Amino acid sequence: MKLRLMVNGESRETEVREGESLLYVLRERLGLFGSKNACEQGECGSCSVYLDGELVCACLVLAGQAEGSEVVTVEGLSEGERLHPVQEAFLEAGAVQCGFCTPGLIVAAHDLLSRNSEPTEAEVREALAGNLCRCTGYEKILTAVQMAAETTP
Amino acid sequence: MRPYKYVRAQDVDGAVATLAEAPNAAFLAGGTNLVDLMKLEVMTPDMLVDVRRLTSDRVEGLDDGGLRIGAAVPNSVLAADHKIRSRYPALSQALLAGASGQLRNLATTGGNLLQHTRCVYWQDVTTPCNKREPGSGCSAIEGHNKNHAILGASEHCVATHPSDMAVAMAALDAFINVQGPEGERRIPIEELHRLPGDEPQRDTTLQHGELITSVDLPPVEFFSNSKYRKVRERASYAFALVSVAAALDIEDGIVGDVRIALGGVAHKPWRATKAEEALRGEPASEANFRAAADIELEDAQPLRDNAFKVPLARNVITRTLLDLSEEGR
Amino acid sequence: MTTTPTRTRPSASRTRGGIGESVGRPDGVPKVKGEFEYSSDLHVEGMLWGATLRSPHPHANIRSIYTSDAEAMAGVFAVLTHEDVPGRKVYGMEIPDQPVLAWEKVRYQGEAVALVAADHPETARLALGKIRVDYEVLEPVTDAETAMSEDAPKLHLSGNELRRVDVRHGDPEAAAEVVVEGEYEVGMQDQAFLGPESGLAIPDGEGGVDLYISTQWLHVDQDQVAESLDLPPEMVRLTLSGVGGAFGGREDLSMQIHACMLALHTSRPVKMVYGREESFHGHVHRHPAKMRYEHGATRDGKLTYVKANLIFDGGAYASSSNAVCLNAATFACGPYDVPNARIESHMLYTNNPPCGAMRGFGAVQVCFAHEAQMDKLAEKLGMDPVDLRLKNAIEPGMKFPFGQEVPYPAPVREILGRVREIPMPDEQEAMGRDLRELPGGVSNTTHGEGVRRGVGYAVGFKNIGFSAGFDDYSTARISLSIEDGEPVVRVYTAAAEVGQGLVMVQAQIARTELGVENVVVEAADTRTGSAGSTSASRQSYVTGAAVKEACEKVRERIFELVRDEFGESDELAIEDGNIISDGREIAPLMEILDDGEISEIVEFHHRATHPLDENGQGDAHFQFAFAAHRAVVEVDVELGLVRVVEIATTQDVGKVINPKALEGQIEGGIAQGLGLALMEEIRIQDGEIQNASFTDYLIPTILDMPPVKMEILELADPEAPYGLKGVGEPPTIASTPAIVAALRNATAMELGRIPVRPEHIIGIPKKPPDELPQPESSRYSGIGRLEDRRET
Repeated sequence: MKLRLMVNGESRETEVREGESLLYVLRERLGLFGSKNACEQGECGSCSVYLDGELVCACLVLAGQAEGSEVVTVEGLSEGERLHPVQEAFLEAGAVQCGFCTPGLIVAAHDLLSRNSEPTEAEVREALAGNLCRCTGYEKILTAVQMAAETTP
Repeated sequence: MRPYKYVRAQDVDGAVATLAEAPNAAFLAGGTNLVDLMKLEVMTPDMLVDVRRLTSDRVEGLDDGGLRIGAAVPNSVLAADHKIRSRYPALSQALLAGASGQLRNLATTGGNLLQHTRCVYWQDVTTPCNKREPGSGCSAIEGHNKNHAILGASEHCVATHPSDMAVAMAALDAFINVQGPEGERRIPIEELHRLPGDEPQRDTTLQHGELITSVDLPPVEFFSNSKYRKVRERASYAFALVSVAAALDIEDGIVGDVRIALGGVAHKPWRATKAEEALRGEPASEANFRAAADIELEDAQPLRDNAFKVPLARNVITRTLLDLSEEGR
Repeated sequence: MTTTPTRTRPSASRTRGGIGESVGRPDGVPKVKGEFEYSSDLHVEGMLWGATLRSPHPHANIRSIYTSDAEAMAGVFAVLTHEDVPGRKVYGMEIPDQPVLAWEKVRYQGEAVALVAADHPETARLALGKIRVDYEVLEPVTDAETAMSEDAPKLHLSGNELRRVDVRHGDPEAAAEVVVEGEYEVGMQDQAFLGPESGLAIPDGEGGVDLYISTQWLHVDQDQVAESLDLPPEMVRLTLSGVGGAFGGREDLSMQIHACMLALHTSRPVKMVYGREESFHGHVHRHPAKMRYEHGATRDGKLTYVKANLIFDGGAYASSSNAVCLNAATFACGPYDVPNARIESHMLYTNNPPCGAMRGFGAVQVCFAHEAQMDKLAEKLGMDPVDLRLKNAIEPGMKFPFGQEVPYPAPVREILGRVREIPMPDEQEAMGRDLRELPGGVSNTTHGEGVRRGVGYAVGFKNIGFSAGFDDYSTARISLSIEDGEPVVRVYTAAAEVGQGLVMVQAQIARTELGVENVVVEAADTRTGSAGSTSASRQSYVTGAAVKEACEKVRERIFELVRDEFGESDELAIEDGNIISDGREIAPLMEILDDGEISEIVEFHHRATHPLDENGQGDAHFQFAFAAHRAVVEVDVELGLVRVVEIATTQDVGKVINPKALEGQIEGGIAQGLGLALMEEIRIQDGEIQNASFTDYLIPTILDMPPVKMEILELADPEAPYGLKGVGEPPTIASTPAIVAALRNATAMELGRIPVRPEHIIGIPKKPPDELPQPESSRYSGIGRLEDRRET
């Protein structure tokens, strides 16, 4: 079946097969591999994207449900070569190791900061509790989000 | 995932009518539970009727002073609603204790009520399970059963209901509004979920084609003195070992009225009516709270791995009531 | 931070981005933009999707495999079984005992039996369902102790004992004034890397294949894949693609041979990606262990002897069990001066999932036990647990119980002393705190009632690199040339970057040695010789040394050119792309090099190690790394909930190469140690994994992880490049026992098994006991038992 949606501000149309998730469509149909496939069961947050402005796990959204929706992925956060302050902060803080959780965390941190521009440490931890990271022990991620909060306009 | 047909219904009537004629069809709302289960092939509907945009996504006042929560209200929105937070804090706390932010944004009120068990044997299609395949046997009774039921289980099934939200709603005397092929009906939440008995394949009393359209919370003043506590194995993003939702009305140190519901202990949100009964009119003391918890837990039948849930439930009940009695004074 | 001078570098330069700086990741920008290509992101036109049929049974005979129905499906291009394996039908890093695809028998649940390639992943998965395998189900051997018994079925022709290592040191009859005994158990931990096993195999049309893969060791994969494909190694070319974490779990093969078989069979590119559940079956896990210990000491707290019986469950196939068994035997006593020791380390085959490498292997398990024993001994002696450790700390010049002399540096005393001096976290009143800072946190479980604080210490150590006679080398090629008018250094190795930051370390070394800022670390592939494994904390040392030496050779050749041309005899250096002599700029590199390229290859071999003899004695290891941890925990004793308040750690790293990356290794390693202490365990029943998902196998979230305070020592290892030591594993070793020690301190429970979960703590007495129960007293073991819990 045909699927039409807005992805990162661009109108996209693609053929999909029933059963494909939004994550699969983004990755394999539209070539946007930034949203990651760590569990595909909504357990790790690595596929976090905005769906009509809400932070969701793309792996649990069926392609059909996303028809006509607006999707923003990690690829949509930077403007060309210019990184978003959250992305800058992740680099600056050393919050990236293997990087597999990074796109999901960046979208989740972006969402947090858009709702709460000066989160406390406890609020950051609570907001990012749905994103698993196995490399960093989260310390530098926490630092990154706090840094981004200071630089985000 | 097995092939299925995806249908976006135009309205509730249409959705109900479509489902009624398709015996293997299912409603799809947030999808956080159903989509996962379809990937695992635990659920294999041949048609999905998307109802997410059909029912109300608002929390509105009722004439009697209560609140009506549309079935499509996302968990995150419900948790943040100021009326819920001030008048039914246990419900907001329960929602925030469940899943992750990403999932709460997707999950709906109606869908959360109909969450399926997290019993690992039910989720593993290679193992026997009476809930998935009636008559095939229960793998959990002799298996890893620390997450399983201590109350109200049967020899056919020892699974627990996984929802946090439903436990709070059970304590808060919610009513579930349903529309089905036969029309509308209103079900006390106590009668929505069921114990496994010899039909563990049935989680609820809903008939095929019945759709939850909204949930009503009654206007009970002391529900503003309510709490939800959840014990789990890590600090977030894990199902309850045991959880408690309670509301307490105290006058002059005496329990006027009380509601207690337990999560993680039974096939349904477990309303602790015996404990409630034992407490009404009694002094609000730690000893009485503990004794009431013991009365409720007298019938507990722990399995090999979950005997710890008995003292745990007792401790959580006692502590929650103590907390409410201090704050409710 | 304490600094001890490392060796001086005659041609050290002040070029930016050298060693010692927190240089950023070259792969950082693509990673934050979502553009970094992991092995699961690979995509070429016309590729097929591979899928694996796995055994549902832990032990069964295969009577027949029927594939015709699957082959007949539209969109299916190949269905392969063991009959289609062109070459060696088994593989394995140490012992090739694991079937590429099972024949006759399956020995664990999840063993690969057949493969499918199809035009869509869903078609491939559906085709798996059409393959019919007729199994004769056999009784599985589900624990190591059963596997040891005479009448247990033999799982391999060689028997069930996979390896045994005995260490006999000193007087076997040694007696002691004070004796403590203990039994300890470690559950099966999973690496739980986030990037699933995946890769893309592309046939070259001439019988060979290119494999793009996430792995820890390209060449050991290449050798095994080539053997099983019956191809010469040069026809099987591997290129590292983005690796989403490893932690030991990618040292063995997963889908490498399978994808290549499908690609060669179909003459089409084939991609394979495991799902999360399959991943739990698709890689090895940390060995579960049962350990019995007896420690003897004098009344004033000097260790007299250690006796230990260690039993490891190796699962169905060998993987790296040999090395784990040896490590455990050699580290069983801890970093202490033990005059007499009797250690038996047993490794058994069972029908459980195969176990192999995971961060700190062998050392993690025994450290939990020996540190618990030290605490028990301290309690019995009425000594402070840190004082007891200080009194027995091993020092350079002493002998380890396995006969090797303790090399310098071995700062056990320093790191223990310093970790104790790190300021304790403020002890806020529990009542009234932000509930997110209490056990249970956002679960709203306490306002401070029932909360008790505990403090625990532990110290651990481990070998760096491969041991016991293995030729553990690495290869590096360095080229220096002028590109677009600028000098550029290119670093070629086959070393796997798995997230730890080796790409930064390699570039930093090249900048430091060659005085050129523009360094490109090329993608790792098998065109360069083996770099050895990205495991055992070895790459900064071994590949670091290879890069360093190759740079030194390149530099020497430049200096020769300079001397030829300018006749300079003073000591030369390169800084910021210029040749410097005695503080004067002589010429830019561009002028010296012209259009030429200077390239050098070095194969670096570290000091030889040797196998242990029949008494477990020998110079088995070439470097040791040490770390100490202090954990502060708060326990809600009524609900069994634990909050780790803080971890403090001291670690000797020899030389800090990249401070930020080092901190990341330490914090990440501690998180995995915390996971093992409190929540992580693959639960197995009758040989079957019960929790193959991230909902049922829990790893720490950001809410579980406390702040980490760290103090780094730089005591240079005179043999290592820049004096550095491997840093990846030590944080994972002693953090676990420190947390459990803190739990014991808070609860007075014995807690001999990890992970310690709520059900193990619930229901202990509400008030702290007036005096801590002694190990001999009945209360000690009784606390926390079910009957007692029911009384509370």
